[in-house]
Amino acid sequence: MSPRPPEQRVDPLLVDAEGHAECLLGNEAIVRGALEAGVGFASGYPGTPSSEVTDSFARIAPARGIRFEYSVNEKIALEMAFGASLAGARAICAMKHLGLMYAGDPLSTIPYVGVVGGLVIVSAGDPSCHTSPNEQDQRHLGPMLHLPMLDPATPQEAYEMARFAFELSEKSNLPIVLRTTARVCHTRAVVRYGRLAEPKTAGFVRDPSRFVPMPQNARALRKTIGARVETARALMSASPFIRTDGNGPLGIIATGAPAATTADLICDNGFSDRFTVMTVGAAFPLPEDRIAEFVQKFPHVLVVEELSPYLEDSLHAICSRRGLKTEINGKRTGHLPVEFEYEPEVILKGIRRFLGNEAVPAPARKPPALPPRPPSLCPGCPHRAAYVAARAAFDEHQLYFNDIGCYTLGYGPPLETVDALLCMGAAFTLAAGASRVTGARTVGFLGDSTFFHSGMPALLNAIKEDANMVAVILDNQVTAMTGFQPSPGVEAGGAAPSRNVSIEAVVRALGARHVETVDPHDLPATIAAFRRAREATGTSVIITGRPCPVFLSKVIGRPPGIAAYEIDDTVCRTCGRETAGMRCDLCVSVPHERSMVYCRATGALAQENRPAVAPCATRCPLSLCVQGYAGHIRAGQYAEAFRLIMDRCPLPETVCRVCHRPCETVCVLRDMSEEPVGINDLKRFVVDWAARSGAPYEPKRDPENGLKVAVVGSGPSGLAAAHDLALRGYRVAMFDAAESPGGLLRSGIPPYRLPREALGRDIQRILGLGVSFAAGKALGHNLAIKDLLSGGFDAVYLGIGAMKGIGLGFQSERASGRPDVVDALAFLHDANTGQKAPPGRRVAVVGGGNAAIDAARTARRLGAQSVKIVYRRRREEMPAISEEIEAAEAEGIEILTQMQPARIAAGDETGLLCVRTEPGEPDASGRRRPVAVPGSERLIAADLIITAIGQAMDPAWRAPGDIELETTSDGLIKTDAETCRTSHPRVFAGGDATAADRTVTGAIAAGQRAAWAIDCALRGGAAASVRLAPPRPNTQPPDSLSLQSLQSSQSLRSPRQRQPETPATVRTTDFVEVLQPLTEARARTEASRCLLCGLCGNCRSCIDVLGCPAFYVEDDRVRIDHTLCNGCGVCAALCPNGAIRKVAPA
Amino acid sequence: MGNGRTKKRFRLLAVGVGGQGVLTATRFIGEAALAAGLDVVVGQLHGMSQRGGSVSSTVLIGPGKSSFIADGQADVVLGLEPLETLRALPRMAGHTKVVMNLGRVMPGVLSRQGKPYPAIEEILDQIRAVAASVHTVDAGAAAEKNGGTQGLNVLMLGALSALNLLPLTEAQLLSAIERRSSKKSLGRNRQAFALGRKAMGK
Repeated sequence: MSPRPPEQRVDPLLVDAEGHAECLLGNEAIVRGALEAGVGFASGYPGTPSSEVTDSFARIAPARGIRFEYSVNEKIALEMAFGASLAGARAICAMKHLGLMYAGDPLSTIPYVGVVGGLVIVSAGDPSCHTSPNEQDQRHLGPMLHLPMLDPATPQEAYEMARFAFELSEKSNLPIVLRTTARVCHTRAVVRYGRLAEPKTAGFVRDPSRFVPMPQNARALRKTIGARVETARALMSASPFIRTDGNGPLGIIATGAPAATTADLICDNGFSDRFTVMTVGAAFPLPEDRIAEFVQKFPHVLVVEELSPYLEDSLHAICSRRGLKTEINGKRTGHLPVEFEYEPEVILKGIRRFLGNEAVPAPARKPPALPPRPPSLCPGCPHRAAYVAARAAFDEHQLYFNDIGCYTLGYGPPLETVDALLCMGAAFTLAAGASRVTGARTVGFLGDSTFFHSGMPALLNAIKEDANMVAVILDNQVTAMTGFQPSPGVEAGGAAPSRNVSIEAVVRALGARHVETVDPHDLPATIAAFRRAREATGTSVIITGRPCPVFLSKVIGRPPGIAAYEIDDTVCRTCGRETAGMRCDLCVSVPHERSMVYCRATGALAQENRPAVAPCATRCPLSLCVQGYAGHIRAGQYAEAFRLIMDRCPLPETVCRVCHRPCETVCVLRDMSEEPVGINDLKRFVVDWAARSGAPYEPKRDPENGLKVAVVGSGPSGLAAAHDLALRGYRVAMFDAAESPGGLLRSGIPPYRLPREALGRDIQRILGLGVSFAAGKALGHNLAIKDLLSGGFDAVYLGIGAMKGIGLGFQSERASGRPDVVDALAFLHDANTGQKAPPGRRVAVVGGGNAAIDAARTARRLGAQSVKIVYRRRREEMPAISEEIEAAEAEGIEILTQMQPARIAAGDETGLLCVRTEPGEPDASGRRRPVAVPGSERLIAADLIITAIGQAMDPAWRAPGDIELETTSDGLIKTDAETCRTSHPRVFAGGDATAADRTVTGAIAAGQRAAWAIDCALRGGAAASVRLAPPRPNTQPPDSLSLQSLQSSQSLRSPRQRQPETPATVRTTDFVEVLQPLTEARARTEASRCLLCGLCGNCRSCIDVLGCPAFYVEDDRVRIDHTLCNGCGVCAALCPNGAIRKVAPA
Repeated sequence: MGNGRTKKRFRLLAVGVGGQGVLTATRFIGEAALAAGLDVVVGQLHGMSQRGGSVSSTVLIGPGKSSFIADGQADVVLGLEPLETLRALPRMAGHTKVVMNLGRVMPGVLSRQGKPYPAIEEILDQIRAVAASVHTVDAGAAAEKNGGTQGLNVLMLGALSALNLLPLTEAQLLSAIERRSSKKSLGRNRQAFALGRKAMGK
């Protein structure tokens, strides 16, 4: 071995000393061979396993005066090299096998024209598809296109063949393919050098009859090919690449990488005296004479070659032509397989069989089943951020077409952005093709280098056809997968690469109208761009631009002071409701997590200002996890949304229709001057979906505990108490004065708001839990608390309501004759229980609550021509649900505010005499008391006056001799606000019969709280509190939350979606439900408006959605590996809980 | 062609996770062998695995051409990561000596499935059941003592040299590392090599 040169910094490929040895990769050895041949031009397109050829030239070309380029694609690389050859330079171009097919057009004609300077094409194959979608056997191109082809077994051979190939090319006047395989390309072995040669260029000498292969010339050239191929055959036959070793009695012919493995196997297994081995380092033209000479010496020959039986079949042909009887063994005889790279075990098996020794050595030790570790996008990869944004912005079922490059790693969980893939540039064409036949808007992803390679014409074609697709160009400014080669138009010399060919300008020049360029690490902006592209029509182009961080760190090193991130365990994977024992038992769901990413990243809440529990949930009497079901609806996960609602809402059909929606009054969107999220409409959508799809209700139930509770009254609070008690393991008997359960829901709420079938589903679900119902049982008449307690019931719950209307208190009220006066509850009861008598031509309703509106709208439906509501305060003070007021007005009901009744007018002009009022001094409730304005009387003509100014309990419930319960001054049952317990320790009460929250939803909550309190009383707090009741809602105004990026967030948000309603002219003729649920699309749009302001414990988004390799889970805690984190910060922008925080650089 | 050759090839398999420097480690060994006048082949078929996937590379010293190490053929397994070392079990046999870093790199699939990383003791037990010996190196701890130096691969080469598991001297290996290190990494690599030796008590 020659002594090493003293200066170690000389590039190993440029050491100019005969006999010097270096340990070179096969690809580097090829470059050295070309240097020794005086190559003057080199080009190529990076593609594993060929890339180190071009990379080595990129490094050493300037020092050797060699013209080198990374070409835009392989076709161009070959044409460039051919141009250089025509101009008299020795030229080389390198690509992977797939690239050579892309260059097939020029490749197929060059052999006709021939070469001037020697032209060598390196085509690196990939048996076993290590980095390629196929493992084609390129040797067939030799005979097909008249391409002499060399096939090295080792780096040393690759070096020698490269040097030889230029001479072969010039002498045979043909381009030479140096066909390698990944095994040779990426094996490093000792290569002994010759001397370097200077590049020379002879210059272009015109020869049109040869250089212009128009038909008449082509025909003439065609006739010269045969002789040129024979020249090549002769030179190759005489080369050292065709050789024979050993002198055993059996013949083996081996070629390519398996020749080296075969040689080693023969030595290692002591077969040296058994075989004579011919190594054929050529694929075309084959040295037929030498092969025949070898074959005829043996009765049996084994052919060892990877992939197709190319050589084996050629041997059959040679033997046939020459009448040789040698038996040819190989793939056709089953000795060796036709697919994949030959590992030593495969060849050894073939050799043993060839020897007649079928005994196979003991099978290899089975590898243990281990978790796979596929390659993934690097930490901080901008492609990852782009994928996360796309997945958040598009639906779960969106189709994604992808391409060849790092971005292929979007395949599989968690990103899943590769539904189909074919070859360079095909993402856009596949997406456009699929879209043309389905009409669906598709998405195609490809990288900057791929865009220039073949994506440009694909995009042009899409734009030309106005394909309904989103073309995404992931511009990281390098060809990262193959080793960070610069992509076209990038200057990579400085501290950071900079692009001087604008992709956006190219795209616009191709005719794209909707083009956006975003920084993928700006997650909100990127999601917004994808969202706009999703809503657009025709071909949209999104360019995500950010340099590859791995490349940057190679160029400029890890930037100093890089930010590190850490996880705040007090916030990570927690939910503000958890401390109240209300964590849901849903599983983590990736679509929901993507929903959260979308809503959070595009929302307006500063991460640090997130409330632990969203204001809507704190205000909800049932403490429903609104953001949870909104997120699930957005993700299309309706079953999960339904489970979340059912987890805390025993009467979903009722609540989703009649709730007074305190949640919507505190929705954060209101702080941004937007309409609140249609929370109850979302609930209605899910509940309706569940009813239609038959979604099961399978609540978790405690085992039966043998205790019995009587529930008196089957209105909302009684039903809720019965439901919860049943789930807590109690036997529940429900009693009601009415014939059917439902209480006020049945008698008071008109069916056009709450259809009886919907109410029936709620009731049936509860009775289905084993709750019994006894009709016609009224407290004070045929039912007594003391009898219940002594008759086997361990506790009693009273949800008996307050069903008696309060009158106006006028003298004439009870008088017979027109106008009739009736209280709203009685009127509604009659109407709702089937007594549909017309109420009279003109109706006046007194009051401003929901009962007033219900009565007015019912009167309208029963045929009243004129319905007026008289309310003494201002309109904004009306307690009725505002949409109900609007609906009433739409139905032609007139609302007269600041008007109060003075007396009933009877006689010729019947009706209600009213006076105008003005706001006076505040009363006890803080509202300004209306004061009558003297002299402002006005007659409201009416045949029927309905009073809806309040309700009271019928005192008949207190039967003499029954247990005495304390009451309030209003005659209501006195209860403890937390526990609903009355003055008797085993009697509880809630709903309208008490002074607590007197709404339907409030009554349900009271029933649930009572169930918990009864459980505490009967089984003890520990057992009872496994299942908690809703806490009393927070009625304080919510903290004002600091809002950020208001505008960008607003532009993304759709306006509030409305439930379709039956037109007023139609709906006033019947009692059919007025509002229909949101359509699926509208529900999902509405759900997307939710900012999901509270925390969520059902989250692992950093792993499930982002999938950054720097994240891992240890002891059920999410952690960041700081050696992997490169501080991109995308995780912090994405974390739904705001739990990932930047820490000061070390 | 090596007909009649008698000297057995030395076969080393290096395994780890993309980014840990497996290919650089085997390249250093290859350079050292070349400088020592030995015949050497280094297999560096990396596929797509440089992106955080499983990576393996081979070094074969002595007469021969191919870069494969067949089942049960590895003389030495240099494991830069425990799970990847276990994955190399089929290449091990009764004569195999294993040098393994204890630092774990959690596979993404385990985090996603909420499963824990297999216990190191269980990994070691499985390897011990096959191999002649297992030497563990707490490279992370060793490097941390030195201010979090990077260069896990060179640290492991230091350990390998301290254990005399290569047909190369310490000086030959270190000199190759120095020759093939960039200016930027030279100091770091020297330090890491020394730490690796120190971790093995040298």
